[in-house]
Parts: sequence; C-alpha cells; structure tokens
Amino acid sequence: MKNTKDKKLKLPKMEGFISALICIVCGILVGFVILLLLAAFTPSIPVGEALSGLGIILGGPFASGSGADVMTAIGTMFFEATPLIMTGLSVALAFKNGLFNIGAPGQYLMGTAASIITALSIPTGGSAFAGFIVWIAAILAGTVAGVIWGMIPGFFKAFLGVNEVIVCIMTNWIAANLVSWIFKGSRYLNVASGHTAYTLKTSVNGVAAPKLGLDKIFPGSNIDISIFIAIAMAVVLYIVINRTTFGYELKACGSNRDAAKYAGMNVKRNIMLSMMISGGLAAMGASFFYLNGNIEFAWETYSSLPDTGFNGIPVALLAGSDPIGVVFSSVFLRYLGKGGYNLAGYTGFNEYVSDLIVAVIIYFAGFANFIRSYFPEVGAFFRRIIAGKGKKDADTAETLTAKGGENR
Amino acid sequence: MRNITKRFPGIVANDNITLRLRRGEIHALLGENGAGKSTLMSVLFGLYKAEEGKIYKDGKEVEIKNPNDATALGIGMVHQHFKLVEVFSVLDNIILGAEETKFGFLSKKAARKRVVELSEKYGLAVDPDAKIEDITVGMQQRVEILKMLYRDNEVLIFDEPTAVLTPQEIDELMIIMKNLASEGKSILFISHKLNEIKAVSDRCSILRKGKYIGTVDTDKVTKEELSSMMVGREVKFAVDKADANPGKTVLEIRNMTVPSKIRKRDAVHDVSLEVRAGEIVCIAGIDGNGQTDFVYGLTGLAPVSGGTLLLNGKDITSASVRQRMTGGMSHIPEDRHKHGLVLDYTVEQNMVLQRYFEPEFSDHGFIRFNEVRKYSDSLINEYDVRSGRGSLTAARAMSGGNQQKAIVAREMDRKHDLLIAVQPTRGLDVGAIEAIHKRIVAQRDVGCAVLLVSLELDEVMNLSDRILVMYEGELVGELNPKTVSVEELGLYMAGAKRDNMKRGEDKT
Repeated sequence: MKNTKDKKLKLPKMEGFISALICIVCGILVGFVILLLLAAFTPSIPVGEALSGLGIILGGPFASGSGADVMTAIGTMFFEATPLIMTGLSVALAFKNGLFNIGAPGQYLMGTAASIITALSIPTGGSAFAGFIVWIAAILAGTVAGVIWGMIPGFFKAFLGVNEVIVCIMTNWIAANLVSWIFKGSRYLNVASGHTAYTLKTSVNGVAAPKLGLDKIFPGSNIDISIFIAIAMAVVLYIVINRTTFGYELKACGSNRDAAKYAGMNVKRNIMLSMMISGGLAAMGASFFYLNGNIEFAWETYSSLPDTGFNGIPVALLAGSDPIGVVFSSVFLRYLGKGGYNLAGYTGFNEYVSDLIVAVIIYFAGFANFIRSYFPEVGAFFRRIIAGKGKKDADTAETLTAKGGENR
Repeated sequence: MRNITKRFPGIVANDNITLRLRRGEIHALLGENGAGKSTLMSVLFGLYKAEEGKIYKDGKEVEIKNPNDATALGIGMVHQHFKLVEVFSVLDNIILGAEETKFGFLSKKAARKRVVELSEKYGLAVDPDAKIEDITVGMQQRVEILKMLYRDNEVLIFDEPTAVLTPQEIDELMIIMKNLASEGKSILFISHKLNEIKAVSDRCSILRKGKYIGTVDTDKVTKEELSSMMVGREVKFAVDKADANPGKTVLEIRNMTVPSKIRKRDAVHDVSLEVRAGEIVCIAGIDGNGQTDFVYGLTGLAPVSGGTLLLNGKDITSASVRQRMTGGMSHIPEDRHKHGLVLDYTVEQNMVLQRYFEPEFSDHGFIRFNEVRKYSDSLINEYDVRSGRGSLTAARAMSGGNQQKAIVAREMDRKHDLLIAVQPTRGLDVGAIEAIHKRIVAQRDVGCAVLLVSLELDEVMNLSDRILVMYEGELVGELNPKTVSVEELGLYMAGAKRDNMKRGEDKT
C-alpha cells in the first residue's frame, strides 16, 4: 500500500520532467530550422554546416576539441552555472510565494559590489587563513546587500500594495547606477595595468574561493568550491519549501493569499521574507562568481544589467520552480552556452544562435503547460508511457478507460 | 443522451446514464453533491467528452466536441458562476461572440432591437445599457438567459440557478422559466432544492453516485419520495434538537462598526450582540446587508472602525486572525474557494491550514507528515469527505459539497469555544445539510457557542435558538424562532419592520 502511494506522489514530478524534455527537443528542432535558414541565406556558410553546427551546439563542452580543452570547458560550464543556480533559486523561491522576482539582476549587482569591496578592503596580510575568513565575510556582505535590495520591493508589495515587478525594475536600474557611482574613480579599480574599466581581482588581497583541487581535474578553468555550495543551497531550499512549516506557509500564501490570511498566516511578513531570501540568494550567486579570485568586474553597469540575473527566470521556469530542477536547468543552459561558444569558433555562425535556441526552449516551456491543460489526451499519452503500458495502474484515468473499453 | 459514461481518476462520474428531454418541458436533474449532475451537463455542453454513449437531438445523432458545437445545435447553458465581462454593458455582453458587423464595425442597432424584443417577450426586464458590475446578481442571471435566447438556443441548461438568488429573485426566475417553456424552449434544470423542483419542473430525473435512478413526473411524487430517491434513504427535514441551555457569555460585541470598502457609509453600523455557550444565534438577512463585512470584522479579516469585541472576556478588538483562532474561534467561511481552502493543496494540507505549526504537526519547524496524514484520514473518515484519492486528493479536484465537508470537519474538530458558521450548507444536498445541521446542534449541546449567518430561511428557522435580523448593516430585530412566523421574519429582512434594538450598554 505504501509503495503505491509513493508512486502516485512521484507521477506529477515525472510529468514535469517529461514536459521539460519535450520543450528542449522542440527548441532544438526549431533551432535547427533557424540554423538551416541562416545557412541558406548566408553565402559564406555552406548549407551542410547547419547539421554540423547543430551537432556542436548539442555537444556543448564536449565539442571543444582535444581532451584537455574539453575538461577546461566542462570546468568553465560548472563555474558559470554556479551564479545561475543561485539566481534561478532566487526566482524559483519568489514564484513559490506568487511573486515575480525580476529584480534578481539588481540584487546580483548589489551583491557583486558589496562582496568585492569587502574582499578588497579588509587587509589579509598575505595569510591564507585571513584570506579564507575574508572570503566568508565577503560572501556574507554580498548576501546581506542582496537581502536589503530584495526587501525594498518586498516592502512596497506587502505594505503599500505596489506590484513587485515595477519596484524590481526600478531597483534594478538604481543598483546599476549606484554600483557605477561607487566604483568610479575608487581605489578598487585595476589602474596599475590600465584596466580601468574593471575592478581588481580579489586575489590581489589574497581572497579567493578554495579550489579543492578542482583546478587539477579541470585545468585552465575557474571552477571552485562554490558550485558545491550552490548545489547544497538548492538541497536546503528544497527541504525548506517541501518539508517545513515556513515552506507550507510560503506556498499557501503564493497559491491563495485570502485563504492564508483566513488561516491566520502573516501574509505581509511572508512576502517580505521571501523577497529578502530571494534577494540574498541572487546576491550570493554574485559573491560566488566574483570572489573566485580570477574574475574582474566590469563596473560600468549603468547602461546594462547582468544577464545572469535575468537568466534566473528561464532557469526557474524550465525547472518548474523546483530547486533541484534549477541545478539541472542551470547546468543545461550553460551546456548550450558552451555549445554556442564553440559554434562561433568552428563554423561561420555566431554564438548568439545558441541564445536563440535557449529562448525558443523557454517559449516551449510555456507552450508545454498550454498543451497539458488544453489537450489532456497529450498529457495522458505521456503519463501512460511513464506508467508503463502493460502495467495495471488503476489510479490513472487512461487505464481505467482502457479497461472499461474491454469490459463492454 | 443515451448511455453516457464519464470517468475521472478514481471515480466514475457518470455511469451509463440516459436522459430524454422533451420539447417545451422543464426537466429537473436532481442529485446529491458529486452525484454527477454537473458532469453530465458538461458532457452535453461539450466541456467534457464522454468515454461512452451517444447524444441525439431531434432524433439525429450529434457529436458535441466543444461548446461551439453545442451552441450551433441550439444548446445553451447558464453556469453557476456567470461568465460575464464586468465592465461591459448588458448589450455588449449579450452580443459578445455573436456580433454583427458592418464593414468591420459593430452594428449594435439591430442587436439592441432584438434584445429589447426578447426581454419583453419573456418578461426579462433588463436595461441593455447598464454595466454588469452595477446590476444585481439576479439581473446578471437574466443577462445570461438573454445571451442564450439571442443565440436562438432551444435547449437551455440551468446549473443550480437559484444558489445565488434571494427568495424574491427565485420566484421571478421560476416565472421566467415557465414563460420560456411555454414558448417551446426545453429547459434542463439542475438543483438539489426540492421545493424549487416541485414548484417549477414537469419531470425530474434523479442521479445518485453517478448512477441513473429514474425519471418521475414531478406532480405525482412527494418531496419525501424525491429526497429518498436522491439520497437512498429517508431524510428528515426538521432538525431534532432539545431546548437550548445557555451558559456563560462567550462572545460579546459592543457597538461594532465596520467601514465599507466600496461605499462611503459603514457596511456594519453599531452592532451589539452576545452569544452564550450552548446556544445557536443566527444572523438572518437578505444577501448584501452587511453580513459579510460583519463576519470579516469579527474574525479579523478586516479592521473595525469602532466598538469592542470580547471573546471569553478577553478583548480581541485588535487581535490578529491567529490570536483569535487560538483564542477559541472557529470560522466556516462564506466563500470556500476564496478563504476556506488552498485549492492547489491536497486535502491533508488543507486539514491543518491553521494548525500546521502546532507541536502535534510540526517538530522544530519541520512538518510531521505522518501525523498530518493520520489526522486527515481520521477527519475524512469521521466527516465522510468523499474524493478520488483521500488525503492526497487536490482540493481543487473535489466536488463543492465535499470541499465544504472538509472545511466543516476542520473547523469543528479544532479546539474552539465559538463556532462562526457562515452559510455552512451553501450548495449542499439535503443529506449533507442534515448531517451538518446535526453536527452544529451537537456542538451547541456540548457547550459551544454558535453564531450562524445564513440566507436560507429554512435553516434560520430550524436551527437557531435566537434570530437577529440584519438590515443595511444594522440589527433591526431579535426574534424567537418558536413564535415568529416566516412572513414576519421576511418583513424584518426586507426592512419593512424594525424594533429599537437595545444598544450595547455595559450590563455589568
């Protein structure tokens, strides 16, 4: 009996996974058509290159050339996925509470600034231990900055009823200008080597995330311990959302605010809290990235917002707001990103084609929900595949139908 | 409709049902909650596809894949929750989807003429230029009816049309339905209110738990026979209860005033009352006379602008919802979808909606899933909440009656001294109503104070020990259900009669 109950619980999850898979396959097919069209209309690209181009995109980091190159690319893929996991978690958590955190780029920027300044300001005297402590302090500083930046839209939403999307977009641009203003002419810029558009690497102060020997496995890449912390955060968030009273409240508020209020939950507090946590998560992603020790920050952000912040949205959508799913969708997006990078290197196409394919996949993510709700037969078809055709599972409607048909 | 079968996961909603509708008749469809009435009508209207069975119209087999097919065949439906655009005018709503155009522009002149003709012909007095949001629910329903008539529909389906109407509006609807039938329209009328079925329908088909029980000529059977066909056993209409034995005061309201969100004047004005342990006090009144705001103010869902609330002698005027709940207040809300349930949650998650944080169900912030499951299973069992997958059913997937039962179970099982029951039997069938009434009386008998807010006159008369009538946000009379007549109660409710209610001076 227990066993069958577990099976029932798992079924919808599988469905989510399958529908994500359908999105991906459809996205790739449409991407192929785009490659074909591009090849057909660009005289310098032979049409046959569309197929090899598709292969390169799908190959991701594995199509990077020699074995050593592949390992570097894989390491870079995980390194780049790390902040994306965090912004994805940020957006996913807000989704669970019925909020759209489009403010992740601003929170990410504030986290960037706070952690870089902390990492470069506290003297370490060259000691590795002090460097480690400052690394942790800088992560915390970044996270706190994000918490504060997430609190602003949270406050406006909870207490003044202002739509969080509007406030998020405004705080994004405030952050973009604020960060530029803070760094302009400051002592954190890389003046010595003439790189004045960038900040110093935090490693000049001996602050860098521990590598754990990962740089030996993936030589030439920046991968460090942060990827594991990010994955751990996803697991923690998964537990918080699914097993704690806080998660129960969060989802109740997200799904029916009136009922949450009726049940005596503090809806305003929940909105504030979830926006603060979301902000902290996004900012923590920035800390992970820029405290690597080998990364420079292009501080002139007043005219553009970081992609990593916005990409948290497709990551969360593709994962169906499931924290564990966010890890996979982030890595997958960077996998395609690597493929796009290689595409530009080996063929006449440019790397933006992979971005385009990712965009198509996201469109299909929305479309899959549409298919599921308006054409139940399609959903039923896939559920039957999952349940196994021969198996007698009396709980699914389709098998019931089939049985009924036999009876009559 | 012949041999219709429709299944949902874990449940057969319609099992081999055959229904024959004659031209010009009013055919009632009677059944308990979850008996499959709405499902059957949705199959007819093309919202669901039946796995088996065929539909014939005028002797010809037809296939109805979607509501457009149904409309093309002249089948129209008035849903329980209206499908109207609130900011559009009546006329715009009627022609929506069937607009006549001239060179791409709307030509409303002819449409208006037809709408006016139709409304005169069938006695539906509706102003075509009024906005939907400004007219009453009864008027909105007439707009829905006009929509069907405008499309020349011959088969009209009414899905529980009286659930949202006042007694006067119900009487008017009955007349309209009879007019329609005499003009040759065929009407399918879904209801579980026996009085209405007796009053208006020619024949009646009964469904029970998805099965077809039979079709009877309405004037040849009694109410009791109908209800036993529907429920499968004898049902009592009067509530058995001993005299009340009121004890100490549990709830005391002094001069409570609740501001209105939409209008300038107060929604509830200077209301004072007390409810004592072991009695059922009923707030009666026609819908929209401030009952909803009164309950919001009392339960903490909306702030009050004046007055004092005392629960067990403690001042709760500015207490939070949770403080009121842990202080001994249980609340069966008026709107089960808005307040009562988180529809995306499972039954078991909904069963602990106010209690998930208590030590019984949580441990250091982690939910004790096994305890929640056990508790939910026991409530489902005790209160006969029926659903496809028990505790694991999504609340959204349950029938309205079973959703209500789940809420009643939750609120009655929670520790409380005061039960606020707002329309506790709304949309329920007689069997379930009987069960809930029994439980409310049982609550009273174990010393619970019960504040009932109801629009149903039968419920008010049968259940309460004291009746307070609310009219335009004020209490206008205190009546004894044993001595007052329904007619007199009606006069108070309509505002034609009022007593000078004593103000809530300190009685200590």
